[in-house]
Amino acid sequence: MGTRTLLCGVGSLSDDLVARLRARGHLVEAVDPSLLVARTDAANAVDAAAGSLGAVDLVVHVLAGPDGPTPLVDLSTDAWVDSCEDPMVGALHLLQACRSHLGAGSRVVHVVPTSAMGGAPGFAATSTAAEGFRALNKSVARQWGADGITTAVVAVAPELLLGPAASSAGGALTGPALGRTGGADDLAGIVDALASPEAAFTTGSTIVADGGTWMAP
Amino acid sequence: MSTDRGVGLLEGRVALITGGAAGIGLGIATAMAREGAAVVLAARRIENGEPAAKALRDAGHRALCVRCDVTSRIDLESAVAATIDGFDRLDCFVHNAVGGSATPGPLEEVDDGWLGLLATTVRASFDAAQVAHPHLAAAGGSFLLLTSAAGMEGSANLPVYAMVKASQRALAKSLSREWGPDGIRVNCIAPVARTPAMERAYLANPELEERLVGRTPLRRIGEPTEDVGPVAVFLASNLARFVTGQTVVVDGGGFLGL
Repeated sequence: MGTRTLLCGVGSLSDDLVARLRARGHLVEAVDPSLLVARTDAANAVDAAAGSLGAVDLVVHVLAGPDGPTPLVDLSTDAWVDSCEDPMVGALHLLQACRSHLGAGSRVVHVVPTSAMGGAPGFAATSTAAEGFRALNKSVARQWGADGITTAVVAVAPELLLGPAASSAGGALTGPALGRTGGADDLAGIVDALASPEAAFTTGSTIVADGGTWMAP
Repeated sequence: MSTDRGVGLLEGRVALITGGAAGIGLGIATAMAREGAAVVLAARRIENGEPAAKALRDAGHRALCVRCDVTSRIDLESAVAATIDGFDRLDCFVHNAVGGSATPGPLEEVDDGWLGLLATTVRASFDAAQVAHPHLAAAGGSFLLLTSAAGMEGSANLPVYAMVKASQRALAKSLSREWGPDGIRVNCIAPVARTPAMERAYLANPELEERLVGRTPLRRIGEPTEDVGPVAVFLASNLARFVTGQTVVVDGGGFLGL
């Protein structure tokens, strides 16, 4: 039986990831992130998706960002809420709703831009949420590890989640060691590997999947 | 209140500290005042903040208290306006206040009480940044956020606290890059220090202090004024003029994974 995957995300990377995971044999049910802000809606959406899958082996939450950069001083409060606070609230609600559907061997993966760790001018709100995702992932690893549930973060090149304007936002001195920033197929391979029992002894860690640009610890 | 004097590292500078009435906020304010800064204690309850400000004044420092609930944008604007009215400039905005519920426990049991935590940390950092920016740019100043090692290593006990504290650190990094060209530095301090909140935690969990001290190479808990304050002074001063986007962990070596 294929990996039963509940995936929450919006945008082309998320859409492509669904297709690539299905191609790898995953059974994928998608949850719309806009449903996560209200706790009851989140629970209903997750219960419906998990009901279709039977059980959940893998939860993937892909953080979405705005299409273009805005300096923080020019950002409206609504835009801040959309790009920072709502995603953080949604990340919490998603995991709360998923908990009863997870068991030993299940994996929780958050996909964030590397700007969580390095910052990105013009994308402060999403980068702020992204680092919140990473800390939530670590805390969940510590809380749920005793039940055999593991977690991981996959950090991808900012432009994959934040659009082409983010390509120079990372401030890297050099381009990716592998010559490209990657895409959904690269991400699907890593996510699929993380869902394997062979990877089950890593938890709470961040795997940087940007072709070798960000190499800090 | 000690009348200790420093060497004038912040002479002529003005700092506003949220949550300045007690604990780490007051420790930072006191250390900055000793180094010559005029300090504004932004306090949710004026009856707590004003005695602290008076004690600083009685010790010969320049200090005032303003009432400020950091979840109110209007209060933050008023606090900055009062700072400019009182001392003509703002060189350092320290967002230290934290409120709301961070009750220890399983993630599944976190209720909407945590939204207060989100408001006092994440939203207030956003509002404070926007409100303070023009004054910090005019002064070539700095923005300082109080975060926590919990945000770096995660926390089994306080998962949403870890989340908001991590996110503040990321905000500091992005802002350091946006505001560097404006001459503004943005940094974080991640302290462990003896505060009223920590004393309450000790009462609820008597083994906590022993455990904390046991994991700390320097074998003690920090003091807000003597241990955390000087690091804030450094980051606000010209000594740190080429330091931005950084987190200084001030915890006696308890967390070494940065």
